[in-house]
Amino acid sequence: MNDTPTDSSTLEELLARTALRERAAFEQLYQRTSPRLFALCVRMMRDRGEAEEVLQEAFIAVWRRAEGFNPALASANTWLTTLVRNRAIDRLRQRREDTGADPLDLDRLPDEDRGPAAHAEASEDYARLEHCLKQLDPKHGRSVREAFFTGATYKELALRCQVPLATMKSWIRRALMQLRTCLET
Amino acid sequence: MNTPAHDDPGELRYAEYVLGVLEADERAAVEREAASNGAASAAVAFWQRRLLPLAEAVPPESPPARLWQRIRAALEFDAPAPLSKPGLWENLRLWHWLTLGSGALLAAACAALIFIAVGRPPAPAIPYMAATIAEHNGQVGWTATMDIGKSRMIVVPAMPQAIPAGRSPELWLIPHGGRPIAVGLISAQSPITLDLSAGLVARLGPTARLAVSIEPHGGSPTGQPTGPVIAAGAIGAAAGPATAMHLVRSARRPA
Repeated sequence: MNDTPTDSSTLEELLARTALRERAAFEQLYQRTSPRLFALCVRMMRDRGEAEEVLQEAFIAVWRRAEGFNPALASANTWLTTLVRNRAIDRLRQRREDTGADPLDLDRLPDEDRGPAAHAEASEDYARLEHCLKQLDPKHGRSVREAFFTGATYKELALRCQVPLATMKSWIRRALMQLRTCLET
Repeated sequence: MNTPAHDDPGELRYAEYVLGVLEADERAAVEREAASNGAASAAVAFWQRRLLPLAEAVPPESPPARLWQRIRAALEFDAPAPLSKPGLWENLRLWHWLTLGSGALLAAACAALIFIAVGRPPAPAIPYMAATIAEHNGQVGWTATMDIGKSRMIVVPAMPQAIPAGRSPELWLIPHGGRPIAVGLISAQSPITLDLSAGLVARLGPTARLAVSIEPHGGSPTGQPTGPVIAAGAIGAAAGPATAMHLVRSARRPA
């Protein structure tokens, strides 16, 4: 390749050029986004080997399906995160079908807030979401985090937290409604 | 962007989908809905923007270097560029041509079909090349025929999607493994003839692709695609001069 894209390219530009089969843009996209996406895979899969497999599958899909990226609908970050999460969720659900789930105590689950030091590099959107999650009833907030990182269904969450299904649904729905209000102010 | 109404009871379903708490069948139902319904896909996007930043709660961590090597290997990046497209049959998407029903295209497709059936290896200098530029749904957006001797390309719209007001479809040539090169602005309504520079002509060939992106009026301001890529297709050897030149003659030059 004669020249490589400059660092100033946005992720959206890199994705558009990936859709045009430009390998240098695809590699740059991988270099720029894989640390964040790999961390998400490790957190969700809780197994580094499986996390690598999920990330590999996801980037193969990025190369093949970049044409489907629509910047009017989502940022490149959102598109990539969705692609990775959907793959991780599919695998986690498959795994649970095979092995069953561990019970979970919401009162003992740690919050995953990265703390003030890590926030320097985190986005404003994340800071706002974290702020809003902290306004929730702690059990509701932890249910949302647990759902987000494990891909567990309402039914699985209720079982693992040992509460009735209706209770789990109402916790999460209330949390989602409160988050929506909080994030809009 | 339309924001879903606060009091819509059905709207939380999109949030539940993004969070990941729905059962497999409900999940699939939301995905189907979002694929075919603009309001549903906007509602999903609304919640993705709000909830996905939670992924940043995990501190970044670089994957091992072998992972990129595995991805390269899986995508066969290290394989040498093919000398001729073995999949000419598929790449030309002859069946799309045949279903278009246009006499000229039909003739071109039949000629290409004979060309393939005879199995004649491409001559060193192919006088005409063609590409079917298809959209994601498989629908043919444009067909391009290249007259190498005259250094020009005629791009005929078949059934391209509507181009948003104030935007222009721009055609790009992507050499194998290389960066896109602007070919020119095309039209969703009428055939356009584009003059090709010597550099562009030299890069035309069975390993190159053509793609169409949506750009601001007047074309990409950066010299690289900035908008969504709506259609793409590989370049193949084309029918003989009779059909190709019929297309060239019937096209208008851009004003």
